[in-house]
Amino acid sequence: MKFSDETLTAYLEGNVDEAEANAIETAVAADPELEARLMALDPFAQVVQAVFENVPAEAPQVDLPEPQSAVPVHHSGSPWRLVAVAASVAVLAVSATFWSTRPEPLGWAEQAAIYQSLYVPDTIASLDNSAQALDTQFELAEAELGRSLNRDTLEALPGMELKRAQVLSFNGKPLIQVVFADEQGQPFAFCIIRQGEGAPSKDVNLAELSGLATATWSEGGYGYMLIGSSPQTPLQGQLDILTTSFAS
Amino acid sequence: MTFLTSRARSVNVKHTQVTIYSMGGEISSEQAVRGAIQTYSKRVWRFGLALSGASDVADDLLQSTCLRALERHHQVTSHDRLDSWLMTICRSIWLNEVRSRSVRKAQALSVTPEAELISHDSDSETNIFAAEVFTQVMQLPEAQRETVMLVFVEGYSYREAAAMLDVPIGTIMSRLSNARQKLKTVMQHDAASAVRRSGK
Repeated sequence: MKFSDETLTAYLEGNVDEAEANAIETAVAADPELEARLMALDPFAQVVQAVFENVPAEAPQVDLPEPQSAVPVHHSGSPWRLVAVAASVAVLAVSATFWSTRPEPLGWAEQAAIYQSLYVPDTIASLDNSAQALDTQFELAEAELGRSLNRDTLEALPGMELKRAQVLSFNGKPLIQVVFADEQGQPFAFCIIRQGEGAPSKDVNLAELSGLATATWSEGGYGYMLIGSSPQTPLQGQLDILTTSFAS
Repeated sequence: MTFLTSRARSVNVKHTQVTIYSMGGEISSEQAVRGAIQTYSKRVWRFGLALSGASDVADDLLQSTCLRALERHHQVTSHDRLDSWLMTICRSIWLNEVRSRSVRKAQALSVTPEAELISHDSDSETNIFAAEVFTQVMQLPEAQRETVMLVFVEGYSYREAAAMLDVPIGTIMSRLSNARQKLKTVMQHDAASAVRRSGK
């Protein structure tokens, strides 16, 4: 069952009858996407949030015992440990920053860029990209996505070594991240999300997100995104190939 | 690479938990809990305020929550979603240990919210409105108040709030509907006075 924004707003304002309210509540329980839409339309949430977000004005005091002196180090010397710590710290920092600024709910492209911004060459250096590993990943990813990932095209992208196809999800929609290493070993990503039939098509939009050059476009019910490893990463070459290859 | 395993989990909108790897030998669970306490202390305090209606009780709840969380850091298996873990600990301390002795005091206080909690910016009309909304929220019944705090203020989804409060998602939605009905009065009043002001 589909609900228009007008109906959802009327629900939030208490202006629908009980039967319709029940129908909406039942539908939301089964549909995270509808839930996200409803939450984004809620005028009360924004007002209440604005009133409480600076309460308390200062971070409250907490007295904690000193940390235990010996912190176990299981993998000392492993470069992965450093990557791990850096990534954890980055996640905390990203959470804290986004929390304190509380932007509008982020779209999939912004989220994907944040995720990608935590990648470093070491993240992808030792991924198993044997034909066998990629076969399994592509099979899974294409099944989730419900369409081909044009693997031949991806494997033939000039200057790029295909590293991995990974299944993620955003608001319940399958989101596939295909990651490459460029000639310098820097991570480069191509993402596809299934937006559903009737999703509006959008022309290519170039933007810097989370400090990375990105290009996004939508067509035929899917959203596409290229993410470089810096604000200057040139995307046009790959963009030409992929917009053609994935044209519906 | 056995200890660098892709988690391939969802990228959550509101809480920006962009978790990439589940790794052995990363930061210890104690460090993770300490980090979470630092990051989320305001959020836990606000939740304590919503539960108890009193800022001194919120102080105590935050302190107890953090100590309890540190004691239990061994139970932490995943370093994401420590925020909702802290909130759950806070609520359980409130329900099991603090509520019975605080509830009378809280009722008295919730009628007159503590004025110093509202920010003082120069626009006094904004301030008055903020104070009205604050009062309205704090006067909601406890179940609605905690739900409003988790969803409206902290941005948890209905289903996340349902899991934290251990109720069905429909209960979350009906609590919010009831809360909106009560908040509507103060918002309509504000809209009306804005119209009056602009008409002058």
